[in-house]
Amino acid sequence: MYMTMRQTRRIKLGITYFFLAIWTVICLFPIYWLVITSVKLPVAVFQGPTYFPWIDFQPTLNAWKYVLAGPMQNQVIRSWLNSAIMAPTSAALAVAIGSLAGYALTRFNYYVPVLKWRNNDIAFWIISQRMLPPVVVILPYLIMYRVLGLVDTHAGMILIYTVFNLPFAVWIMRDFFANLPRDLEESALIDGASRLQAFRLIVLPLSSPGLIATFLFCMMFSWNDYLFALMLTFSRATTMPMFVAGVGSQSYGPQWWLLSALSLLTIAPMIVIALLIERYITRGLIVGAIK
Amino acid sequence: MSTDVAGQLAKVSAPREVVRAARLSSDPSKHIFLLPAVILILLFSLFPLFFSLALAFLSWDLSRLTGGVRFIGFENFITLVNDARFWNTARVTLIFVVGAVSLQYLVGLGVALLLNQDIRFRRFFRVVFLMPMMLTPAAVAYGGRMLFNEGQGPINHIIKLLGGPQIPWFSNPSLALPSLILVDTWEWTPFMMIVLLAGLQSLPPEVYEAARVDGANDWQIFRHITFPMLAPVSVTVILIRALEAFKLFDIVTVMTGGGPGTATEPVTLYAYLVGMKNGNLGYASAIAYSLLIMVIISSTLFLKLVRQRAVRAVE
Repeated sequence: MYMTMRQTRRIKLGITYFFLAIWTVICLFPIYWLVITSVKLPVAVFQGPTYFPWIDFQPTLNAWKYVLAGPMQNQVIRSWLNSAIMAPTSAALAVAIGSLAGYALTRFNYYVPVLKWRNNDIAFWIISQRMLPPVVVILPYLIMYRVLGLVDTHAGMILIYTVFNLPFAVWIMRDFFANLPRDLEESALIDGASRLQAFRLIVLPLSSPGLIATFLFCMMFSWNDYLFALMLTFSRATTMPMFVAGVGSQSYGPQWWLLSALSLLTIAPMIVIALLIERYITRGLIVGAIK
Repeated sequence: MSTDVAGQLAKVSAPREVVRAARLSSDPSKHIFLLPAVILILLFSLFPLFFSLALAFLSWDLSRLTGGVRFIGFENFITLVNDARFWNTARVTLIFVVGAVSLQYLVGLGVALLLNQDIRFRRFFRVVFLMPMMLTPAAVAYGGRMLFNEGQGPINHIIKLLGGPQIPWFSNPSLALPSLILVDTWEWTPFMMIVLLAGLQSLPPEVYEAARVDGANDWQIFRHITFPMLAPVSVTVILIRALEAFKLFDIVTVMTGGGPGTATEPVTLYAYLVGMKNGNLGYASAIAYSLLIMVIISSTLFLKLVRQRAVRAVE
């Protein structure tokens, strides 16, 4: 018995969709579980797993009221706003400083005398900073921040997130500028514009896709950080991930209904970023820079 | 007339070349562009790196009232070599890195191969499959704790409904690390997937057509064409992921806190506990530095191994 080409193709496609469906469920189920646990009563969580609201349990806004309009309100709002201020600010700074350096590395020739480094060595040195496990430098940061009075301040956290994101921003933007046509900026230079003017008025407007994608990525890294916040903040500049982690480790045991609501508040902005960022990754922008 | 045009062109293009050459190396503004980034990175990585190395040779223990800061040479490193808890954290870290990165590579490659076909709803699948790597690890860790919870979690419940045994995911010391690897795999497989997918899409279609004409089946094509051609991308993505995996901190701290006992305690967490909880800055720096040495040795070995394989494949 021979199968026709069309039949084999159909079977293959069927298997493909089957596995794609399984992976979709694996990716989404944990998020779904956070959502339904956040609308359960503490008692309902304790009685064992239930899966469908209105079918095997009665949903309630109990946890959300507790978090947003109850005893936790102030801390939750403060931590969330701290993250919402510090993540975009540090991302914007990283993109600004990073794109200047990324541009420079594609348009000028540099030479570092003693090390005999040229542009590519400098770029590699910058990206290799990401190899360094943050835990190695965290104690010096703490001592440095104590001396400078930056512990538990917004400025201190914004600074550390900016520096932390800088290698990534330089690397991505360098890759982006390398592929950008140079004719327009060179005409501007001949017409008497300075490099900075050409960069600001011509290069930057042309680079908005790269700038936006890099900004979104940097914002994600800053928002998701836990270690730096844990080491360098304790009350005024606490971030959302640090607040959530602290609530779960308190001695009265994990309150799943509460932690689900808090976790969802933490990841909600990142879900939005994931939806926005996909198109840039599709264009090969980020992936191209990784290779 | 024609010479006139040529002359005009020469006039326009000559200065352009001159301008380009001149600006490339002598424009003084070039330092304004690069210096802010370089200064910040020097300040925040090179300086702390040396500072931290210096700390590792000091006795600086905030929990002791006397003694102050003293230079003690290699004493911290000698303590380290004889510290059983440290060797356990090194073992945990290495098992985690190897286990998590291999699993993520295999699953990521599988999903990338699925997506690299002529399928519908491709955009939808990509958005969904990318989602996990964007989410905050601290929050993902809570999701993991809930799902794997032995009494109230859905995973054991579903296994029970299917007639399987109840698995002590996190209370059994030998299962806790594999469970952690599963959660990390959920979060980071998307990264493998997206880079490998881009790699697959950049392979030249002509080779496939030739193989099809020669009658090769799907497995043969994968084994002898796709996989070898994807090797450079694979090596890069495995290396990047492994470097990140050595930094493991958020997920393990929130999920297990290193427990049960010290079964899932990585080097990072141990350094944090010694430095922050016990205030022993000198010893914590020695532990942290040993992690850096581990990272450098592992990545060098990995690259060497890959290069040998590549040479053997060519021969």
